[in-house]
Amino acid sequence: MLICEEYLTPGSLDEAFAAMERHRGRYRVVAGCTDTLPWAREGRAGDMEIPVLIDVVRIPDLRELRTDDRRVRLGAATPIQRFLDDPMLAHALPCMPRCAVWFADDQIRAQATIGGNIVNASPAADATPALIAHDADVELAKSTGGKLVRRSMKLDQFVTGPNRTHLEDGELLVAVECDALPGYGGSFEKVGHRRSLVISVVCLATLVKLDAQRRRFEDVRLALGGIGPVPRRLTDVETFLRDGPLSAARLEEAADMPASLVASRTRQAYRRDVVRGFMLRGLINAARRAGADAGALPPELEAAYA
Amino acid sequence: MPDIRLEATINGRKIARNAKPHQRLLDFLRDDLNLTGNKEGCGAGECGTCSVFVDGVLMKSCLLPVAKAQGAQIDTIESLAKTGELSVLQKAFHKAGASQCGYCIPGMVMAATAALRTNPFADREEIKERLGGNICRCTGYQKIFDAVEMARDVLNGRLPASIFAEVEAEQGDYIGKDVRSIDAPSKVTGRLKYAGDMTMPAMLHVQVLRSSHPHARIVSIDTTAAETMAGVEGVITSADVPGEDGFGVIVNDQPVMARGKVRYVGEAVAAVAAEDEVTAKRALAAIKVVYEPLTAVFDPDEAMRPGAPVLHDYAPDNITKHIPIRVGDVEKGFAESDVVIEQTYSTQPIEHAYLEPEAGLAYVDPDGVVTIVSPDQNITHHRHMLARIIAKPIAKVRFIMSPVGGGFGGKTDMIYQGMLALLAMKTQRPVRLVFTREESFISTAKRHPSRTRLRMGLMRNGRIRVFEMTMVCDGGAYCMSTGNVVHKAAVLAAGPYVVPNIKIDTYGVYTNNTPSGAFRSFGALQAAFATESHLDICAERLGLDPFQIRRINAMHDGAVTHTRQQLGSVSLSRVLDAAEKASGWEAGAPVSRGDRRSDLNRDGIRPPCGLGARFAAADKREAAE
Repeated sequence: MLICEEYLTPGSLDEAFAAMERHRGRYRVVAGCTDTLPWAREGRAGDMEIPVLIDVVRIPDLRELRTDDRRVRLGAATPIQRFLDDPMLAHALPCMPRCAVWFADDQIRAQATIGGNIVNASPAADATPALIAHDADVELAKSTGGKLVRRSMKLDQFVTGPNRTHLEDGELLVAVECDALPGYGGSFEKVGHRRSLVISVVCLATLVKLDAQRRRFEDVRLALGGIGPVPRRLTDVETFLRDGPLSAARLEEAADMPASLVASRTRQAYRRDVVRGFMLRGLINAARRAGADAGALPPELEAAYA
Repeated sequence: MPDIRLEATINGRKIARNAKPHQRLLDFLRDDLNLTGNKEGCGAGECGTCSVFVDGVLMKSCLLPVAKAQGAQIDTIESLAKTGELSVLQKAFHKAGASQCGYCIPGMVMAATAALRTNPFADREEIKERLGGNICRCTGYQKIFDAVEMARDVLNGRLPASIFAEVEAEQGDYIGKDVRSIDAPSKVTGRLKYAGDMTMPAMLHVQVLRSSHPHARIVSIDTTAAETMAGVEGVITSADVPGEDGFGVIVNDQPVMARGKVRYVGEAVAAVAAEDEVTAKRALAAIKVVYEPLTAVFDPDEAMRPGAPVLHDYAPDNITKHIPIRVGDVEKGFAESDVVIEQTYSTQPIEHAYLEPEAGLAYVDPDGVVTIVSPDQNITHHRHMLARIIAKPIAKVRFIMSPVGGGFGGKTDMIYQGMLALLAMKTQRPVRLVFTREESFISTAKRHPSRTRLRMGLMRNGRIRVFEMTMVCDGGAYCMSTGNVVHKAAVLAAGPYVVPNIKIDTYGVYTNNTPSGAFRSFGALQAAFATESHLDICAERLGLDPFQIRRINAMHDGAVTHTRQQLGSVSLSRVLDAAEKASGWEAGAPVSRGDRRSDLNRDGIRPPCGLGARFAAADKREAAE
């Protein structure tokens, strides 16, 4: 049970920072609350008394959504379900709807936010690898001497370990900016103990762009989650595949490359097997969704993994 | 604690009320507005019993701090149809028999409503996906999906609404007929009141202090600080039991609260009744218990060894029950056998996980009758035990069985009703205890974990000559139904097979684990898992088809069981035929065929679980356009 004396819902960044200043040392920032409330239960943190909860989801800056040809800016309080409901977003960020459908369930997605998922920094976070594959930056803000100070960093640098990030005391995650990748094919492969509402044992976000003939990779983006303390972008595999054919030999070689990244506390051998299968599935599914030419993908791999 | 002034529209009515800042929307709806149609099954967003619409979007109200409802339009299950009426989905749930215990059903109806609003043409796969956040433990989901498909088709005009009409069964002719469950309308509308939905004026809230030690002597319990807290009306420990303290199914070995020592993690040690839940929780934190840890034993085989820690003085060997069965001559049977195959099998503890966590309401009525309302699967037995425990004549004890939101055997033990009675007597006010999901998991009985050594002698043609089994069941800290469970395990161990020589020993053993108790199948599962797995292994060794080895040994009409019961009819052969056909079994010994198997990927076999049916549906729509 989460017990608080005050539950504040600031309507602007200024109000939020003022509240954080006023209640310094006795508040916690919350957004969707879909992990905060379960956290304050027996078996995790247990009953918790936090004097002040500051709910940031009503702050307009955190609900912003802007896009141009190159980048998409998402307020940190953007609910995960938005990637499924908003066709414009689905078009610009082809990996995100595929990720979202595996994220918790329809109801929790309507409430859970991308910012919460990132700051929570669970090694099994689902949105983080998919956003990393979209080359996401995080924008952080803090109030210093009454002045708003903003800074940005790469999302894959921001998360430093289980439940640890570079977020400083008194700082808020305001927005996420990521690459708009229309025309890419996206896939999100995930395995856990059930379909919905499940923590990833392994997840893989994949984005693929094909050449004009739809027979070769022009660009590949890959990020793995659940395999260690932090999600990992697979830049070496991306480089290896870029500008190459969709051949069985290259796909299989690529699939073997990330095995050494598996650094989880448990079930490493199982995860390595899954990662290999997911690499093939992810690349094949993303290539198909990117409009791969009929017969361009190795039929035996397509039959087994698509 | 400054209250929040909450203004919102709830089921079409404007409200402006104060709410506590720590309340969840679920608490506000249930406790302050008495809208108890949406339930609390887990409090952690896992089960979906609490789903409500927030500005038209379905959300889990157990995950929503009430402040998030500020200015919002909230619609609960109560909004779906006027009193006495049912929505199309509710009618379909009734017609399809989709509600059993009913506890998950309001959430299921809400999720189904949301699914069909989002996609009125959703196919079964998409319906499954959109209901993925809701758990049911009774139905196996098929009837729920049938109901949603039926409602979809009626709403789309593909089925006539007349299908909802009742078909009158002829007098006494119910089997195979479409007879409607009479309590289903109260379940599909959320109107049925489970114990946790009930309130009484001046009711107090109960919280239980539980042991964090698996085995420890209680040196002292100091409740002084808790008792003097404002808002605390009563604190009880075993010292408050006026009569003979002890309950159970077979042996009355369990005190209402730990007496002298604790025997498992989660055992009740003290309980508090207070004006509200937060005060009760704070009072628990103020109770000081001094423990002297004792050596604990967690493995039943170790518990049976001489010198092991003893849990109960009456059972110095920790054995609560031993059931031996002897038929024929086992030594001779092994000597005659062509092959002897031996294996060890184990099963784990399993939680019933009914969607309704334990809850109860107790009061002392004007005639001094101590009354307990709870989803109790054995009220008559419990009434007699409680009368003895609280030292009252039987006429002064009353049990009322509230609707059971799933039991499966797990609500047959009187593990909290005693505390409720004592607190109602002590405070002279109604008291209510509602377990959290976590509390239900740690403190209530589980299915018995078992370890089974099975040795079988067979002839080369597959005939069983001899069956020798030793099963040790972990009964946990208290006996509960252990004796009956190991009894049934022994009786059914050798299965519906003709076996001339048998030696079976099943044991129920005390350990410092969570108690084991009644759970569907009652010991049969543990035995059948060992015996049936073993038959597959024997079939493989002998090069026989698993169906064949069972047919070779099957009992037939008129057979006499291993415990000398004459059977009128034996349906085993028909069951085997049906299973073989339905599974598309490829005849032959059960050796791995890997990708040469032809029984996969055919009609009626479900593909591996995935998600994304909504994308396939969208692609199809796009192609059609």
